[in-house]
Amino acid sequence: MRSRKFNIFIIALLIAALGILSIYSSTYQKTGKPWEDIYKRQALWVLLGVLIFVFVSSMNYRSFWDLTYPMYAIVLFLLFLVFLLGAVHLGAQRWLKIAWFNFQPSEFAKLAIVIFLARYFSRKSPYDITLSSRRFGILRGILLPFAFVAVPILLVMEQPDLGSAVMIFCIFMALLYLTDMRLKYMVIFLIIILLPAPLLWHILKDYQKQRLMVFLNPNIDPLGAGYTVIQSRIAIGSGGLFGKGWLGGTQSQLHFLPESHTDFIFATFTEEWGFLGSTALLLLYFLLIRQGFIIARRTQDTFGKLLAYGITLMLGLQILVNIAMNMGLAPVVGLPLPLMSYGGSSIVTTFIALGILVNIDQKRAVF
Amino acid sequence: MIRVKLLIFFLLLLFLSLWLALFNLEVLQGAKFRELSKKNCIRLLPQQGARGNIIDRKGRIMVGNKLSYDVMILPQNNTDAEQSLNKVAGILGVNTETMAQTYRKGYFASSVPVTVARNIDIKKAIMLEELKPELPAVIIQSNPVRNYPYGKLACHVFGYLGEIDRWRLTKMADYGYKTKDMVGFGGVEEVYDYYLRQDEGGLSMEVDHRGRFKRVLGFEPPTNGVDIQLTIDLEIQKIAEEALGGHKGCVIIMEPNTGEIIAMTSNPDFNPSVFLERSGGSLSGILNNPDAPLINRAISGAYPAGSVFKLIVATAALETKKINSSTTFLCQGKLMVGRKEFLCWNTHGLQNLPMAIAHSCNVFFYRTGLLAGAQAIHDYAIRLGFSKPTGFELPNEAGGFIPSPLWYKLNKFRKWYDGDTANLSIGQGYVSVTPLQITRMMAVFANAGNVVRPYIVKAIGNKDISFSQRKSTHLNLKDTTIGYIRDGLRKVITDEGGTGNVLGGLPVAVAGKTGTAQAPPGMAHAWFVGFFPYQNPKFVMCVFLEHGGPGYYSCVVAKQIIEGMVAGGLI
Repeated sequence: MRSRKFNIFIIALLIAALGILSIYSSTYQKTGKPWEDIYKRQALWVLLGVLIFVFVSSMNYRSFWDLTYPMYAIVLFLLFLVFLLGAVHLGAQRWLKIAWFNFQPSEFAKLAIVIFLARYFSRKSPYDITLSSRRFGILRGILLPFAFVAVPILLVMEQPDLGSAVMIFCIFMALLYLTDMRLKYMVIFLIIILLPAPLLWHILKDYQKQRLMVFLNPNIDPLGAGYTVIQSRIAIGSGGLFGKGWLGGTQSQLHFLPESHTDFIFATFTEEWGFLGSTALLLLYFLLIRQGFIIARRTQDTFGKLLAYGITLMLGLQILVNIAMNMGLAPVVGLPLPLMSYGGSSIVTTFIALGILVNIDQKRAVF
Repeated sequence: MIRVKLLIFFLLLLFLSLWLALFNLEVLQGAKFRELSKKNCIRLLPQQGARGNIIDRKGRIMVGNKLSYDVMILPQNNTDAEQSLNKVAGILGVNTETMAQTYRKGYFASSVPVTVARNIDIKKAIMLEELKPELPAVIIQSNPVRNYPYGKLACHVFGYLGEIDRWRLTKMADYGYKTKDMVGFGGVEEVYDYYLRQDEGGLSMEVDHRGRFKRVLGFEPPTNGVDIQLTIDLEIQKIAEEALGGHKGCVIIMEPNTGEIIAMTSNPDFNPSVFLERSGGSLSGILNNPDAPLINRAISGAYPAGSVFKLIVATAALETKKINSSTTFLCQGKLMVGRKEFLCWNTHGLQNLPMAIAHSCNVFFYRTGLLAGAQAIHDYAIRLGFSKPTGFELPNEAGGFIPSPLWYKLNKFRKWYDGDTANLSIGQGYVSVTPLQITRMMAVFANAGNVVRPYIVKAIGNKDISFSQRKSTHLNLKDTTIGYIRDGLRKVITDEGGTGNVLGGLPVAVAGKTGTAQAPPGMAHAWFVGFFPYQNPKFVMCVFLEHGGPGYYSCVVAKQIIEGMVAGGLI
């Protein structure tokens, strides 16, 4: 039997390769050169990601136990930096300009928070497999960790990056659920959080309100806020059973579909590869997530177990929300499709996360 | 770990529902979305072909096309467009601001050229074309438009062009007709529109999200419409129209053996190009004219037949053996039928059939009609093609009407009296006929007993359709019947007292019959219908003047036409 590490590596590489093909196609011009060489940059990022994957997977994941709080601090610091002097792009301030590339700290924040929560709910000793949350009340079990999580959430929301904020919150809730937190507490907590939600409406930016309205009915503003969803649905739907063929997509190449190489790469891919291609892609993602869950279930060490669940959930939720958003089944939020969307931060974070996952799998046997 | 299982199950469910949503979007609704995606990025630049010409029997173009030049500006580049607008406005002598307004109003997308001026002078078009290197955004597009080199000539035969109406659109959408298409109304343009109409060709191109041109996907050259050749002879048509002049009425000239219409004119007429220019004034002038210039009187007008109808009475009586060559009646200027006195327009004395035709003696035909009976007259009128349309190709043909005793009983609730028969015998009363029916009836005596179907289209494109156009019914009339009547028709012209005596001095032997149909409150309708040359007839002619007075006036018009044809060497 081939090792799980090999499986995960091959699946991730396959998806990333499809991503590079789609990015190339979305910038491809039937006449003239591609308008940007971003597919080359993406290839470099994937290469870098693979190297990091190899490095992280050979490092003991327990070293993250010790690195948790420094990492948390660094992420907070980076988010503050974004808040202070981030690059404004597409109306949002999510990027830090470092040397020649833009860096998106909120991608790393997700991973750091997963590591933080995994540590918070587990014991230091890898041989103690009981979860700390058993002994926690609502205060130490929910409110205290939420205080830790809330700070980066608020910073990310301020960017504004509602997608990442909601994503972090969902991971938090899912991990609470998996640590056998009493459901009663969780329900009470959710009610407290969600009660002021109607008031939240006024905090939302205008474009966010528009997006939510448009999600409910894309046709209220077909050339404005609803444009993206409509074009994305057209791109996906026009792919049909077999697709228009690689480099044959018109929606993406002629720029009818905005963000065709980042958040809406799934639509770009599906337009050209059709139902069969997108089914295969969904299957690849499903296999990747399945590997994650298998690793998590087999791990005895609570830190490793929670970490594996957290990482798998983080990837799984992003994949589901992004694809749903491409099909107009979820509101448009700025979430990349892991391994496919153009963007160094996302690619590197995903490979680090996969590296940790693989490492958990290998080290599990040691303890 | 029940919670883990629940969570995994939940995620699996989400994946499955996404996959189902994909199936719905791509496979179930795929065709719809593919259409939408094409609409996004494919634009068509239409290019018009030329409508088919209408040519005469000798191949001369009677209705053709000319090029009209439109100025279009391609908004691909804004500064170019503005500069072009200024230059174009300067050359055309138009206010720049007005043109800029037209431009803004017409703007659709940057790849779609905006028409800023239509139908400009050819010299200015050439000037603009020469400036092309300086003004890359200017496009001079030439569009073929209908041209009428002879103006009003035969306008009723051709019809006119107009934008398709709702009724036609619903009827013809299956044949590729679209809104805003120009289609024929009335005449050959309407009936043969399917052949005449051009096919739009054009350039299909790919554009991006801003409507900017990307590349050419394909080019389909426009196809021109098919030419329609008519049986009309342009020169004879011109002569006929000239002779009719400003009189209200119509002239039909037909080949008696085949039914080919050589000339057909109706007055008042109209200029078909008015419908293309759509200049409000002249258009409403046509539509509101009480004389209805759009009506083709030759086929759509039903009038009392007058004395021309006597030929039918004669045919009925001869065929039913009620009279023969030796039958004579005495005309004393009037005849008592029942208790009513029926008048003749003169006192003719003793008359036999040819004499009675020549003098158009009413008394002779009262008596003949009474002998033959109303039913026989009615039946022979039907056999000679009255009371129903002739089957001619042009639209809106009238059928006319011949009364019968039965019809009287059913509709007038009274008996048919002998007085009614007398009235019918001279073509008065409820009788109504179209000039085309009368022409065809005369052709029966010219071609020895065949009722032909008149037709006007000789060929579609290169395909001669005369064979399928020619349809005639042989009536099996006795040779003597036709002989006596022909004799009478000739005497109309040659006899001293013949009603058509004015046509006597012509170099061609003409035979014919005049008619003066009472049409109160106006003057009588003037009929002349005849054929020539007498021995070997090549033309049947009908001249009808609406409220034109006695039949004599029609003879004068006929004379002019025949003189013109002789002078032109056309007989």
